[in-house]
Amino acid sequence: MEHTSLLERILRGIALALVVIFFMFPIVWILMMSFQTNETILRIPPQLVFEPTLANYTALITGKLMTAAGTLDIAFMRNLWNSVFLSVTSVAVALLLGVPAAYAFARHKFRGSEDIAFTLLSFRFAPALLVLLPLTLYFQKLGLANTYIGLIWVYQLICLPLILWIVRGYFEDIPADIEYAYRIAGHSWFATFRKIALPLAGPGIAAAGLLAFIFAWNNFVFALVLASADKQPVTVGALAFITSSGIQYGQISAAIVLSITPTLALALYAQRYLVEGLSLGAVKG
Amino acid sequence: MHEKEKDLIDAFLRGQVDRRGLIKGLGAMGLAASTAGTLLNFGQTRALAADFDWQAHKGKTIKLLLNKHPYADAMIANLDNFKKLTGMEVVYDVFPEDVYFDKVTAALSASSPEYDAFMTGAYMTWTYGPAGWITDLNEWIKDPAKTNPKYAWDDFLPGVKNSCAWNGQPGGALGSADAKQWCIPWGFEQNNITYNKGMFDKVGVSVPGNMDEMVATAAKLTKDVGGGVYGIGVRGSRSWATIHPGFLSAYANFDQKDLNVSADGKLSAAMNTAESKAFHKQWVQMIQESGPKDWSTYTWYQVGTDLGAGASAMIYDADILGYFMNGGDNKMAGKLAFSAFKANPAAKAPTPNIWIWSLSMSNFSKDKDATWYFMQWASGPEHALFGATKMDFVNPVRQSVWNDEMFREKLNKSYPGYVEMFDVSAPGASIKFTPQPLFFDLTTEWAATLQKMVAKEVPVDEGLDKLAESINSQLKEAGLG
Amino acid sequence: MTAATIQRNRPSGFRISKRVLPYLLSLPALLVCIGILIPFLTSVVYSFQRYRLSQPWARQFNWGDNYISFFTDPKFWNTLQVSLLYAGITVVLELLLGLGIAMLLQKRSTLNNFISIMLLMPLMTAPALAALMWKLMTNPGFGVLSYLASLIGLQDFRWASSPSTALLTVVLVDIWVYTPFIMILLLAGLRSLPTQPFEAAALDGVPRSFVFFRITLPMLTPYILTATLFRLLDSIQQFDIIYAMTQGGPGDTLTVFQVEAYLNFFQSTNVGRSAALMIILWAITYFLSNIFIKNWLRLRERARGQA
Repeated sequence: MEHTSLLERILRGIALALVVIFFMFPIVWILMMSFQTNETILRIPPQLVFEPTLANYTALITGKLMTAAGTLDIAFMRNLWNSVFLSVTSVAVALLLGVPAAYAFARHKFRGSEDIAFTLLSFRFAPALLVLLPLTLYFQKLGLANTYIGLIWVYQLICLPLILWIVRGYFEDIPADIEYAYRIAGHSWFATFRKIALPLAGPGIAAAGLLAFIFAWNNFVFALVLASADKQPVTVGALAFITSSGIQYGQISAAIVLSITPTLALALYAQRYLVEGLSLGAVKG
Repeated sequence: MHEKEKDLIDAFLRGQVDRRGLIKGLGAMGLAASTAGTLLNFGQTRALAADFDWQAHKGKTIKLLLNKHPYADAMIANLDNFKKLTGMEVVYDVFPEDVYFDKVTAALSASSPEYDAFMTGAYMTWTYGPAGWITDLNEWIKDPAKTNPKYAWDDFLPGVKNSCAWNGQPGGALGSADAKQWCIPWGFEQNNITYNKGMFDKVGVSVPGNMDEMVATAAKLTKDVGGGVYGIGVRGSRSWATIHPGFLSAYANFDQKDLNVSADGKLSAAMNTAESKAFHKQWVQMIQESGPKDWSTYTWYQVGTDLGAGASAMIYDADILGYFMNGGDNKMAGKLAFSAFKANPAAKAPTPNIWIWSLSMSNFSKDKDATWYFMQWASGPEHALFGATKMDFVNPVRQSVWNDEMFREKLNKSYPGYVEMFDVSAPGASIKFTPQPLFFDLTTEWAATLQKMVAKEVPVDEGLDKLAESINSQLKEAGLG
Repeated sequence: MTAATIQRNRPSGFRISKRVLPYLLSLPALLVCIGILIPFLTSVVYSFQRYRLSQPWARQFNWGDNYISFFTDPKFWNTLQVSLLYAGITVVLELLLGLGIAMLLQKRSTLNNFISIMLLMPLMTAPALAALMWKLMTNPGFGVLSYLASLIGLQDFRWASSPSTALLTVVLVDIWVYTPFIMILLLAGLRSLPTQPFEAAALDGVPRSFVFFRITLPMLTPYILTATLFRLLDSIQQFDIIYAMTQGGPGDTLTVFQVEAYLNFFQSTNVGRSAALMIILWAITYFLSNIFIKNWLRLRERARGQA
């Protein structure tokens, strides 16, 4: 890419600008709406100038929503906490189970390995709705209904296949020779996995983990059907601002902003792993 | 509480002082009207306790499933009084309206014993009742040992009360003698006109008195108000919710029905008559000329938002939607007015179809008697009055609340025409659908057909014939036709 | 030295554990997921029943009737067609766009890294809420996009509310939400490609298009397949965006599988029909991913052979 001409650089710049505008415009608009009341959001035609207010955020964070009918309690911060807890634990469990399995599929072609890998993936084919009704019945009997454990288990449907298949690809890209060399030097299998394979596939694991985290974070149908109000994630919590006396666009925007923040922070923190790629070129050659 | 105030309240409860006198008296003692209301409620709670063993289920806990709604808010605000009265504990789960009924269906279809009672609409009980998820409440209402003497079941508006009772036979008349009371009405909505008075005055039109006038008025408003304002807001999404408000109210006013019920109880589609076709044509024309541009995505929220923000000049929808939009931080708060609407010039009175938020008892509840204690309190006259006067609990389902002067005054002050509208249309207000298990299949398809007609994908006559044909085959398939 | 010769030199005690090890590693994951098989099988049973929650007395096995009725039901064929069309359009467009953006951001720089993280934000917005915001932005009165459209002469553009543009609008929202998913996977893939083939090609003066089609694309194929597979699985099951924007309308324009199944289940409470619809959806995804996985394995082998 060193030999790019000026024209090409300009064209690339324009293309990138268009991309950024398309994807960021709605985000910026939501951010702006989060500082407005419904009265200024609902103007014809829509306007850029407004007097910013922190009322939406105050309402969400303090849990007190002032309406014409009085003060209402809202559980938004509780929802946010549930989302954090459910997503973090689900992804952690999925990594714990999925990474070793991915390693097994990548390194050891054992009998039935492809079948097992495909079966694990196929859990992702089943539309959530298909398993939900019977699952509610069985959870009731097993005492898993309305428990975090039950939810984390079901969340594996979202996280595990994603982690397994993405991480598997990264493991397969690591040349086996490095690991074998380490093994020959007398190290145990586990030490090889921990000291060589895991660090090399680290970026892939981070990327898969983050994507699984995002999908877990955005899900709400499982919690809605399987748990009571105190265990609902932020996605259900934000719907509470669609009220019969009107959609509170300002508060929903603030809710979106607050719900993106933890994931964005995580992504920025893990940025190096996400976008640096595997950098294995030198090793491979 | 001071003794003097207590005495005055007790005098009111004995009927020696009228409501106005009470408020005045308390005002003289330096109490604001709202404080007086809370005190009054507390007094009533004490009065209730005198005639009935409210403490019979002391120490028990019941759990409710509630929709995020002003009715639920009003109940929660008053809940401490119930706890004091009965010594019971009440816990509740509140879910957003957007996903509320999914949660109800999920919980009940799994026979979950978690919730003892829950909020529902009358239409939903046509599924829940036959499915065996809810209890016939007659057993409790009619048992003097279990229901307090002041409950006054007769006080409920008859059209509303009967709309919550069905014998479970597909096509069976609502409120028939053998009907089961699947739910207790809590609050209800009539479908009438809410309009923007300023816009009507500006253009020089008056409130339409029938369907022809509505089409013409809406068109004139769209043309003349300016600023992108359109004439009439009605719902249009692909859902039962598009059929049940203004649309069905006007349709019923022309004596049209959704289904015919034959003598042997068989059902067949009734929406392809000549009168129905004429009405559909008018309705479709009205939306094309003066409805919202993106009508086919319009739900309760968009219809309301547009009226409240001044994007539409009138709505033919739930009266309480207009009520909400006339308050809060809406741009048009305080600028809206209300009117009953009679679509058919030949009809004697309006026939609004209604939506009823009601309370049902789960069949999986472990203590139904205790649950009924909560239900009779929550639907009792005292709470209804508290909700209506202190909170946004409109429309109340009890005649006594509508007779209450303080309530009428509150409405008349800020909601011009509301009381009058209610008085005119309430006698004809009831559910106009035929109760049967395919309610949602039928109405969703009806809405989809309306969308095709408005988008000019199918002519009205042909669309209705096709719809009737499809409904008939589905009824046959389900063993109903 | 090749892997095979190393294996031969191993101590013999190791071989037993090597046979067991992969099973030990993969079984926990499998066991956790297997629990889901039971409700899945229950749903298969439902799909062979006449089962409406509102008519419990009429519940009985009708064997294939739910499925057979689909053949003569034009609504079902419409559902099938719309679902495949929707999945096809979104996956192809998102793949092309995602690949394009990934290539724009390929060069490692602080700015590019920052942009790539920022572009993930649509993906972090819950689709149902994203759809609600798009609905507001495309409202003819208050909507900023409708306003901008009117400035460029599209006075009467009706977005999701007109049958002719509904699919387009919903696809647009889908692209907005999910292109970043493909972009980030392909970006990671691009940056992990070995540099030598490209340097060699540059030295030899090989045309750029040739490099792209003969080197970049083949080497990137495994990543493309992974990203496409997951996107396809989700896209053909799309519900949140479509339901929140149009509820399947106008008319029957967007009644995809999940919308139909949802309405059949939660509104009509016709469990039998709903289950049958979803089993068919499951079969379609099973079939499609089978093709994908086969090719995935083959192409991975080839890609590694080239590297």
